[in-house]
Amino acid sequence: MIATLRKLVLGETWTLPVGVALAVGAAGLLSELGGDWWREGGGFVLLGLVLLALLAAVRRPRR
Amino acid sequence: MAFVLTALGAMLAVGLELLEALAIVLAVGSTRRWRDALLGAAAAAVGLAALAVVLGPLLLSRVPLGPLRVVIGVFLLLFGLEWLRKGVLRLAGLRSRSSSFQEYVEEREQLEAVALPPAGQADWAGRVISFKGVLLEGVEVILIVTALGARPGGLAPALVGGVLALALVVAIGVLLHAPLRRLPETHLKYTVGIVLTAFGVFFTAEGLGVEWPGSDAALLYVAAVLVLVSQVRIATLARWQEVPA
Repeated sequence: MIATLRKLVLGETWTLPVGVALAVGAAGLLSELGGDWWREGGGFVLLGLVLLALLAAVRRPRR
Repeated sequence: MAFVLTALGAMLAVGLELLEALAIVLAVGSTRRWRDALLGAAAAAVGLAALAVVLGPLLLSRVPLGPLRVVIGVFLLLFGLEWLRKGVLRLAGLRSRSSSFQEYVEEREQLEAVALPPAGQADWAGRVISFKGVLLEGVEVILIVTALGARPGGLAPALVGGVLALALVVAIGVLLHAPLRRLPETHLKYTVGIVLTAFGVFFTAEGLGVEWPGSDAALLYVAAVLVLVSQVRIATLARWQEVPA
């Protein structure tokens, strides 16, 4: 049951939860450092990081 | 615009999760006994209602808005990206297509192998399978609706979407399981992945102090970028698969 719940919340692979943690962590750091530029453009930075996490999770399988 | 997108996102996500729960209850009911299938599902529904009552007010009233948006955004990202990952792999032909009807057939085959207790005795195997199926799919429904509804003004559209989905799925259940076969589930799940991920990016960024250009309209261009990038990825993966090793 616990394993099923973990799979339900975190998904089938570790790539996505780790990718999301890295993306949100990096965005959190940048929001602390950034000023006006973060308020206006930070969303696009986060979107780019999330896309990187997605692309890492849908790599080509080894033949 | 945010109202329509929230209601649409909730309706699709809740509808697809409920379809999967319905497939399990139908399989238990039609191979074993309807009474035990419905008792298991009802017990799960009671547990889920309690979870919704506890989780909703706790999130909405106790946690400050900024951190709440980040927490909700991260949950939506986890759910949305997982749906999107599976959707990309399915549409590229690297994973089998999603089908609640197929799950229904497989569940039936497994259940037929388990002996039914004599008439008058409780069928605990049927009850537990029905309970577990409805509970696990329902937990995801509650997390998604709570997350979409936690934004100021978000509760009404999330509930409208959820109730519409419930009505639709019950109608499908009443009209037998035949329509399950005709639903383009793979494409619907890919769409849910796009919608939930767009909301996840939007909420998380807002929680981290971002002011989106165009306000709520940002949901549309974030979703458009997600569609564009994922479609390019689907095309490259599909082309790679067609090339002989």
